[in-house]
Amino acid sequence: MDIQEIIAFIALGIALAFLIKKFFFKKRKSDKNCGSGDDCGCN
Amino acid sequence: MTNQNINVALIGNPNTGKTSVFNQLTGLNQQVGNYPGITVEKKIGFCKLPNNVKANILDLPGTYSLNASSIDENVVIELLLNKNDKLYPNVALVVTDVENLKRNLLLFTQIKDLEIPTILVINMADRMKFKGITLDIPYLEEHLKTKIALISSRKGFGIDELKKLIVSYKTISSEPCLNASSIDPEYFDTLRKTFPNQLLYKLWLVITQDVNFLNLDRNEIRSSFTKSHSDLKRLQQKETIKRYQFINDVLKEGLKIDTTIAKDFRSKLDRVLTHKVWGYVIFFLILFVIFQSIFEWSKIPMDFIDGTFATLSTLAAEELPAGVLTNLISQGIIPGIGGILIFIPQIAFLFMFISILEESGYMSRVVFLMDKIMRKFGLSGKSVVPLISGTACAIPAIMATRNIENWKERLITILVTPFTTCSARLPVYAIIIALVIPDNRVFGFLNMQGMTLMLLYLLGFGMAIFSAYILNKILKIKGKTYFVVEMPNYKLPLFKNVGINVIEKTKAFIFGAGKIILAISIVLWFLASYGPGEKFNNAETIVTEKTKNNPLPEAEFENAVASQKLENSYIGLMGKAIEPAISPLGYDWKIGIAIISSFAAREVFVGTLATIYSVGGSDNEVTIKNKMAAEINPVTGEKIFNFASGISLLLFYAFALQCASTLAVTKKETNSWKWPAGQLIFMSGFAYVVALIAYQILK
Repeated sequence: MDIQEIIAFIALGIALAFLIKKFFFKKRKSDKNCGSGDDCGCN
Repeated sequence: MTNQNINVALIGNPNTGKTSVFNQLTGLNQQVGNYPGITVEKKIGFCKLPNNVKANILDLPGTYSLNASSIDENVVIELLLNKNDKLYPNVALVVTDVENLKRNLLLFTQIKDLEIPTILVINMADRMKFKGITLDIPYLEEHLKTKIALISSRKGFGIDELKKLIVSYKTISSEPCLNASSIDPEYFDTLRKTFPNQLLYKLWLVITQDVNFLNLDRNEIRSSFTKSHSDLKRLQQKETIKRYQFINDVLKEGLKIDTTIAKDFRSKLDRVLTHKVWGYVIFFLILFVIFQSIFEWSKIPMDFIDGTFATLSTLAAEELPAGVLTNLISQGIIPGIGGILIFIPQIAFLFMFISILEESGYMSRVVFLMDKIMRKFGLSGKSVVPLISGTACAIPAIMATRNIENWKERLITILVTPFTTCSARLPVYAIIIALVIPDNRVFGFLNMQGMTLMLLYLLGFGMAIFSAYILNKILKIKGKTYFVVEMPNYKLPLFKNVGINVIEKTKAFIFGAGKIILAISIVLWFLASYGPGEKFNNAETIVTEKTKNNPLPEAEFENAVASQKLENSYIGLMGKAIEPAISPLGYDWKIGIAIISSFAAREVFVGTLATIYSVGGSDNEVTIKNKMAAEINPVTGEKIFNFASGISLLLFYAFALQCASTLAVTKKETNSWKWPAGQLIFMSGFAYVVALIAYQILK
């Protein structure tokens, strides 16, 4: 495995971790705080 | 937060220009959710004030009084009653409209009675001379026991003076306007004796509103001071009357209106814009112009972005050292990012128009106009706001239903709002329309592509209304409903406000959706570039074997190998597995992959196709659109994206609930999985059937 392949697979790992976190481990936000940040779960 | 940071709460009736004041104070220094149009939740901004004072400016939802009738209004009360809240204001700015001062002052007197230092901000002062209004500021300041900032958030004057007043908030009297005991002396006297350390008006709000207060439970106070619901209502009415008596007395001397000077342009315009026939004709024409413009104006910047990313992709492939990472960048990451950035112009123009309609005061007329129609379908005039907000994103739109008091109307609005064409559908529509609808003009000026886009928006809206009608018949929930809508003055939209709105919404779309699309593009590239078994690993040998009697030129041979690999890659096998279910709709396995990957978020559809075609496509066609246009069905020899399959796809995306976040927010707002599950099954099933019928008729 060359360096390009290693970096590409690290990118894959980061992408997968991000997607899993986004869709399966979404942090619950209370009604009060929603809207005060830039991410309300939309998109 | 440092010791020098102060909390400033912006409070006011709807349509007093509160958000304009917020923008003037904070500029782009805001933390806002990706909410379209109106304020439905908290928004926080930061502002540097004189004497090195820094302020957190909190833009609270518009409310008419502290007698809350919706969840939105509860937010205001809960904050003002909770000193432990980290955003509890050091000073409150009550924003009022100079033309509606009497009504706006009701809220001011209530907040003043909470003994929070309060500044009265009289907005839209630039209109005073046109309306013949004069104010005796020293008199008003003395009798309202406050400091007054006379400003025009639209023209930007008075803002510096307002900032100075905020800095000196400690000098503002916190003396109440109304003696709460006068509402019912005996009752309030007992209250005071039982809770000697609590502010009387706060206790009164805890009793009458649905909120908790510090360590005192509402029920505990209520049980000690039993009053029937009707008695409490009677006392609330008495309170309101007393407040208006006070306001009338103050304004009698402090406010003069010379009606002979007033120019009543507003009522003439209202008669036309809310007319039972012309009102709808004008609204339809405005929508028509908007959708024509979105397509016409976006062409050049979209082509530029598309071309730039195609060039970048080629450059990356040629200039970077050959290898897996280079392929990932040139075939996965760059086309994936390009697939979302290309739609910036259309999204920005859409938000610009929505923002102009809201800023000008026209949107409130639309709400009023539509109320009559909405009622017939089981919705309220207030449902128009979520339905129009839904053109940006269903999530904030569903949350915006919180100001609909009637539960049945609210539930129906929540369930049907996802039919409205959101901005995530726009990229899908834009690319498919560009592929299958000719760029012709009817009568020399009507762009067919723009017309199609408008029809899709109307279709979404029509389906929402139709579903509401059905739900209204099915759901057996009873409740009374009242409709109150503010008719703000007509105003020329402010470039700054429109600009901030467009930037915020576009930014939220790109950074919200962009991260997901980038991540999915990377995963898809791997799934498309790796595969199990001999058919993938020995693609070159298989193609050589197949073509040994008729050898292909080098470029065609490479394309044949790429296609062989893609078809037998992990993603290819997944697509092939679902192909039997989607081929009756006119889709091939590549479109199937795009539909699966876009379940989480619709806008991923275009990025997915861009990635798939970049991995297995021809090098001659570099832009996403050209790659899709060149795609041929190997079985029929016809174009994959033809008129029948294109219309089928447009209809599928018009009705399908391809958005995981919408399901989550519906669950949150209805507090049950029953409603989002029903929403998903109905919308997906309906989309499939309609797409199937459309393809079978048109093919």
